[in-house]
Amino acid sequence: MMSTKTWTLHISALAVVSMFLCWSVAARAQGTADPTNQLRVLRAAATALGQIRMSDIGMTNPPLPLVDVVTTMEVSGKGTVVIDGKPTNATYTAAFAYIPAAMRVEIKGEGGGNAVHTIQTVREEYAWNESEKGAGLIPGKGTATPAMASAKSRLLQLWILPYGVVKAAIAAGDKTTISTTQGSTVITFPLRGALAGITVTATLDAKNFITKVVTKPDNPAATDLVYEAEYSDYADHGEILTDVKSPGHIVEKLAGKPLLDVRTTKVDANNPYLVFPVPPNVKAAPAQAGSSR
Amino acid sequence: MRLFGSCCMAAVAALSLSSAVIFAQDARPAAPQHPTNGPPKPTGTTPRTPDGHPDLTGVWNGRGDSLTGVPNQLRNSGVIVDDEYSAHDIATGTKIAAFPRPVGSTFGTVATAGNEGERAATLLRRVGSNRPIYKPEYWDEVRRLDDNANEEDPSNRCMPAGVPRGSIPQFIQQTPGYFVFIYPGQGGLIATQTMYRMIPADGRQHTPLQKLDGSFTGEGIAHWEGDTLVVDTWGFHTNTWFDQVGGYFHSENMHTIERFHRDGNTLTWTVTVDDPDVLLQPWTSTPRVAVLNRDPKAMLPEGLPCYERDLELTVTKEHH
Repeated sequence: MMSTKTWTLHISALAVVSMFLCWSVAARAQGTADPTNQLRVLRAAATALGQIRMSDIGMTNPPLPLVDVVTTMEVSGKGTVVIDGKPTNATYTAAFAYIPAAMRVEIKGEGGGNAVHTIQTVREEYAWNESEKGAGLIPGKGTATPAMASAKSRLLQLWILPYGVVKAAIAAGDKTTISTTQGSTVITFPLRGALAGITVTATLDAKNFITKVVTKPDNPAATDLVYEAEYSDYADHGEILTDVKSPGHIVEKLAGKPLLDVRTTKVDANNPYLVFPVPPNVKAAPAQAGSSR
Repeated sequence: MRLFGSCCMAAVAALSLSSAVIFAQDARPAAPQHPTNGPPKPTGTTPRTPDGHPDLTGVWNGRGDSLTGVPNQLRNSGVIVDDEYSAHDIATGTKIAAFPRPVGSTFGTVATAGNEGERAATLLRRVGSNRPIYKPEYWDEVRRLDDNANEEDPSNRCMPAGVPRGSIPQFIQQTPGYFVFIYPGQGGLIATQTMYRMIPADGRQHTPLQKLDGSFTGEGIAHWEGDTLVVDTWGFHTNTWFDQVGGYFHSENMHTIERFHRDGNTLTWTVTVDDPDVLLQPWTSTPRVAVLNRDPKAMLPEGLPCYERDLELTVTKEHH
């Protein structure tokens, strides 16, 4: 006969084993932070994009690992861009960099019979609008208007690009989870730094290309941080071939509403000369707290 | 009771074993040792001349960062590989992702267009963030020059690399009153001619810029700041770029400050380029490190003959 104490110990042991088994099953269903699987999936995504390359150029001993080679890029396209709530035929050019995180989006179009030309730039915590590229850096040459409240939203556009997804998912470390939804691999990770509090979910296709990216802020009121992007028709679109693959078709929604739908016309993926110095008046502008609006 | 004890032990053992298996599966594969392109660590003592300054005399063509003896151009672009899983940008400290290389894979020759040949080289040489900031009206021109480097790069026309593109000389002769720097030419990827500089260190002042005819190497004058040799140069023409890649053109008003610091068998070099005509602000290069050739009988090799490319035959923009 077992004593009451013995039974208690027995039940406790079974409970521990049961909890452990339940945790294992649940982890597999909800997505896991298994580093081996995470590494395999992120490596596959980065390889599909041509984003990681052997780095021992000019040096053969010792052999070096693959490194992320995407630092700057410029993508141009034509299509529909929503400006002030109105769909507009436009050319769209996004120049961006990841060291430091920066992006300049130039849109030229015709809206309601009027020519539209906007340049929206962000570098880390600074956001501003330029009357021309590089405005405000030299006195008398263009105007740079601080737009600090847009910094998060603009910065987020950089990190939902396929290359940004790979970089940010790797940077998130063991907080990045891999799961399978309807047969597709899904990467989920939290953003860090100024974008902390936003979760990104990226879906891969059978060739490991990132085809869909969705962002979800912890604060449901921050609707300017709710992006949905779809990427398709990946190829090396560069005039200077680099084997870096870019989407030929980009569709973005903001807070569930269409934002842009463009077909790629030109890509410079050869780490072109793109710089984003912050104009002095923007540096001096006060940061705006709270929501990104 | 004994049976229960055995069951309990078995459960705990099973739990431990399961955990061990799980953790073993989660563990990253062991990384090979020393997969880094970090700068060489100095060894030995720094010799000094009778006047007490470090002696820079020597053949600096050990495994180092001179234009012609480049061990790893990723480092020259300002990126250091830390290990199999991590690299970083020297200028900002930003981490860059890395992955173990596929087993048995090799990097192609620089002449091989393809995934790990010239196309990768184009990217690798431009990964680092340390770029000069030109005035906005020149941003497109820098890109045009770099994109069309096959035709536009002066070094493809058998010209001397110039200062500061030549970076660390492969030979330095130090005397109390002057230095001699020699940069052997190469006929390969960057088809440069042999270049030399004779740099006084006798306290003289610069010739007024207006009285100088521009040249590839300019008028350099050296002085010591502590144990660092500082070479102050102006008087350039505009037929050179000031870094190895990037289309970084300059004006006749370019002014460079090079700093050479010897530590044992290593020589660290940086340059600050000031050109208010085209740059928004002075730019300082990522440090490059050359290693002394320890062979006391070391000689400079003959420079390879330079052959000018027939640019009319250029059919692609793929480039170095």
